[in-house]
Amino acid sequence: MKLSTRDRLGDILSYAFMAVMFVFFSWPLIWLLSMALRTRKEVFLGVSRLIPKFPTLDNFTMVLTSSQFPVYLLNALKLSCLSAVGCLIIAAPAAYAFSRFEFKSKGAWMLGILAFQMISPLVIMVPLYRYMARLGLIDSHFGTIMVYIALGVPMVTWLLKGYMDGIPKSLDEAALIDGCNRLSVFIRIILPLSTPGVASAFIITVIAGWSQFLVPFLLITKDSLVPIGVGIFQYAGTQNASTIQVLAAACLISVVPAIIAFLALQRLILSAMTAGAVKG
Amino acid sequence: MSASAMRSKLPFLGAAVRHNRVPSPYPWLMPVILVMGLFYLYPVIDVFRYAFTDLTLLGGEGRYTLSTFANVLTRPELPQILWVTFVFTAGSVIGQQLIGLAMALVVVRSEKRNLFGTTILRTTALIAWVVPGIAGGIIWKMLFNEAPFGGLNSLLRLMGMAPVQWLSDPDVVMWSVVLSNVWRGTAFSMVVMYAALKAIDPSLYEAAEVDGASGRQKLFFVTLPQLRPAILVNMILITIQTLNTFDAIISLTGGGPGRATEVLSLYTFNVVFRNYDLAAGSVLSILMLVISLGLALVYAAFLPKDEKA
Repeated sequence: MKLSTRDRLGDILSYAFMAVMFVFFSWPLIWLLSMALRTRKEVFLGVSRLIPKFPTLDNFTMVLTSSQFPVYLLNALKLSCLSAVGCLIIAAPAAYAFSRFEFKSKGAWMLGILAFQMISPLVIMVPLYRYMARLGLIDSHFGTIMVYIALGVPMVTWLLKGYMDGIPKSLDEAALIDGCNRLSVFIRIILPLSTPGVASAFIITVIAGWSQFLVPFLLITKDSLVPIGVGIFQYAGTQNASTIQVLAAACLISVVPAIIAFLALQRLILSAMTAGAVKG
Repeated sequence: MSASAMRSKLPFLGAAVRHNRVPSPYPWLMPVILVMGLFYLYPVIDVFRYAFTDLTLLGGEGRYTLSTFANVLTRPELPQILWVTFVFTAGSVIGQQLIGLAMALVVVRSEKRNLFGTTILRTTALIAWVVPGIAGGIIWKMLFNEAPFGGLNSLLRLMGMAPVQWLSDPDVVMWSVVLSNVWRGTAFSMVVMYAALKAIDPSLYEAAEVDGASGRQKLFFVTLPQLRPAILVNMILITIQTLNTFDAIISLTGGGPGRATEVLSLYTFNVVFRNYDLAAGSVLSILMLVISLGLALVYAAFLPKDEKA
């Protein structure tokens, strides 16, 4: 293949653009890492010590051995995993029905579920806070998980429906003729075949739960029940310039689990995401 | 069709097949209906009810009144809040859409020409997207810090430029917040645009090439018109996302300095949970709903007819 000067110029411009974008997206994270590895003295030396001369892991040790942070992390893990499981249990049957059954106003039902996603969590939290207070569900992980589930259900329903659409209907029909009922077709054939879709829906919901702030900020007041999102916000409020390196380490620790979960299943998550958006 | 044909041929199977053929979907939908009803529909209806009362979070049943509406909508700070919300949303949406589209175009071109680095760029952008809002706010607060350890000013100083008062200058702060939001949100637009670009029928480009179209002509007369539905859907999604953004702002600026970055969602939060004014917050919630619904309808009107379904 011959390279015209035009193509070569295009390549150079592409590289330049990609380099600028790479710096833009990576700089905040590089900076965070750099701060987290510094000693108190080096923090004040700014960019000249981007790679610290005396790197230290003390900040991480300090965060991880503190009395609160491990608790925050465990709480976040518990809330996000349990709510993701709940989401799947509630959304999977509906996804199966949307994928397999023909019924009146199916499109309207599906759009209706999606339309709920337009509503800001803040709007529903205004009355929900009042109900929860009356029901005594403030400071209860159960109440918080229920709200997480409600926030996640619309997207999980759509994701799973999209995945199940890709499984041939002839499998259902064969099993029905063999005497299975709908429920056992769903549980014994469709669900096992949907494992990749279920896995990506699970991870997306776990990441969303990990990032939750508003719901636990309002519903949980006891420090021992707070998840990491709220914990780090409150921690940041009590820090000053002399402990910025500890805050950086804490922040990094709160971000890394979400990043790892995402990277592990990046391909699955991306195909699930774009399938929804491109189909409209 | 085929099933009914089969049924007429095998009449003895009719009853059993019909039983399985049209099962009621409602038992399957029940869990979703219950959850959505309890946690979305009922609260939203209650928001409308609260808006006509003078309820507070401090207790009491409140009375029904129309004055909350009039009172909230004539508050002197409201125009400022709406303007801030508009600038924040428009800046973020335009920034994310443009940069996301540009990145997708460059990545697709680079992949075609086997250039190095497309995967690294895509993954880096996506990592920013996965960072929780609160953490994103804290990270950018470190970058914008005006002390020597601020990640942007120390970079500027290194290059011999004057430091910027990223968060304390009321004229600059909005653009700082938009910048941090573009950082976090662009990857989504990039991924959507990338998938949409990949879905364009290659024969359109072949036809354009036969007709002697230049690269720019291909972009403006093939690529962009083909991307129109995807761009509009993406804009709806990111607009609503941005309007609802709350955690990234509360941890970056807390709405300040003054009210320079207090967007509608943050204002609503403050009214309900700091001033305990449930009724006024409900009116503001309705305002938020009306704005997102209105914008979604405006975008949808631009969609080609057959995409509307």
